[in-house]
Amino acid sequence: MITFKNIHKSFGDNEVLKGINASVPTGSVTVILGPSGSGKTTLLRSINFLEKADRGEIILDDLHIDVEKVTKQEIHEIRQRTAMVFQSYNLFKNKTALENIMEGLIVVKKISKAEAKEKAIIFLEKVGLGSKGDFYAHQLSGGQQQRVGIARALALNPDVILFDEPTSALDPELVGEVLEVMKKIAQEVNCTMIVVTHEIGFAREVADHVIFMDGGVIVEEGTPEQVLGAPKNERTKQFLARYVSFTEYNI
Amino acid sequence: MNSIIDPYFLMEIFLKLLGYIPMTLGLAITSMVLASILGLFMLIIRMKKIPVLSKLAELYVLFGRALPTMIILYIVFFALPIALMIFAEKTGQKIEINQVPAVVFAVIGLTIHTGAYLTEVFRAAVQSVDKGQMEAAYSIGMTWWQGFYRIIFRQASVFAMPLMANQFLNLIKSTSIAFMITVMELFGAANVICADNNRYLEVYIVVAFIYWGMSVLFEKLFLVAEHKLAVFKKGSNL
Ligand SMILES: Nc1ncnc2c1ncn2[C@@H]1O[C@H](COP(=O)(O)OP(=O)(O)OP(=O)(O)O)[C@@H](O)[C@H]1O
Ligand SMILES: [Mg+2]
Repeated sequence: MITFKNIHKSFGDNEVLKGINASVPTGSVTVILGPSGSGKTTLLRSINFLEKADRGEIILDDLHIDVEKVTKQEIHEIRQRTAMVFQSYNLFKNKTALENIMEGLIVVKKISKAEAKEKAIIFLEKVGLGSKGDFYAHQLSGGQQQRVGIARALALNPDVILFDEPTSALDPELVGEVLEVMKKIAQEVNCTMIVVTHEIGFAREVADHVIFMDGGVIVEEGTPEQVLGAPKNERTKQFLARYVSFTEYNI
Repeated sequence: MNSIIDPYFLMEIFLKLLGYIPMTLGLAITSMVLASILGLFMLIIRMKKIPVLSKLAELYVLFGRALPTMIILYIVFFALPIALMIFAEKTGQKIEINQVPAVVFAVIGLTIHTGAYLTEVFRAAVQSVDKGQMEAAYSIGMTWWQGFYRIIFRQASVFAMPLMANQFLNLIKSTSIAFMITVMELFGAANVICADNNRYLEVYIVVAFIYWGMSVLFEKLFLVAEHKLAVFKKGSNL
């Protein structure tokens, strides 16, 4: 279980997170929705300290972090127990697809090169790219790069995977293959997923829990049926009316 | 002595001057290696924003680039011994400053000069790497050092290579001022030959040719290194 308590974050005068409280049960899929600038990315990045929140608590099972008093050691630990899938993929450009997956296994998990390679191949196959192991990032399509990104995250066997708009940078025809992989992971792997996305269809179909954010606060949350089917808040309704009409996606 | 250019004389000085190439290249290569290490230190100090030290690094980069190389060389040559003497007196240690060969001062001076430029080259190279790369390294649990060494450094070095080549070619030329502090390198030797024979044109033609040859050679070597480092870009348009 991962819990946020009263997370606050400002960039200068701009208060981006105004006290976020939420809990995500182990193994569940939580989708975070919200208009641009509502603080979704910032919240996600606060979890693995790519962005340091100003105050609040982040609790991952037995790891209890008070953001204001966080130590280097705690940051390192939570980064080892989480992984992230980026909007712009961020594959290591100097490494092949296979090496991208092996990197964390060798350097962070300290397993042998041969073992890491074996493991990496399995994960590459899991995302349907078994034949692309020796390709560098620039030789792969966006959809393929993102699937490698997912495999890289997954291979580390993290407690939580954070997805920040994993399909937003993709050509429309490539969105499906990535969502497909994510759906598969949600079903097969017992790993907590926190997904920021505008894919309402994915949320409806895969999410256990949906959070709607606006203006740095959680406006509404609940099951997909509650939030997407029968939103109570006016802002949620407006947002959904806009998005559902043109980004509806069906697997 | 009847033609303007005497081919036999050309050959003779060419062979004579070849003997000074090791000194010139020795100066250049040693200074380049030391300057790269120095530049890397400065880069890391600045990247990690280590209090005091990063301010000093900034100051160094400023001065190292602002002062003419010759002035740096003179300062090192004349001021360093004095500083060492004072240090020796204060601590009661015995330092035989007269036994330090001039080459050492030349290397120190050239290193200071080149290191300042390389610090900037390295900084530009690191900035050329997308910041998402380090974030990805962090996100899988790597430390700053791991991410820097295994990801950022490798990518940045491809960017840095042509700029380092540039700097090295400059450095080869700069070694000629080591003559000012009595180091007998290529240009110094050429001047001595000029004075001895009272013939300037041939000597300078030959010496120019040798500098040109060294530059071409090292330009090629750096290009090879760049291609080796850039294997991961194969087929991309960079
Ligand atoms: N590094 C930064 N420095 C200053 N302001 C920032 C920074 N990162 C984000 N912000 C600001 O914080 C606010 C929230 O940004 P954030 O990226 O979290 O929004 P988001 O909900 O992810 O939006 P989007 O859907 O467009 O990705 C925005 O107003 C943004 O301008
Ligand atoms: Mg965002």
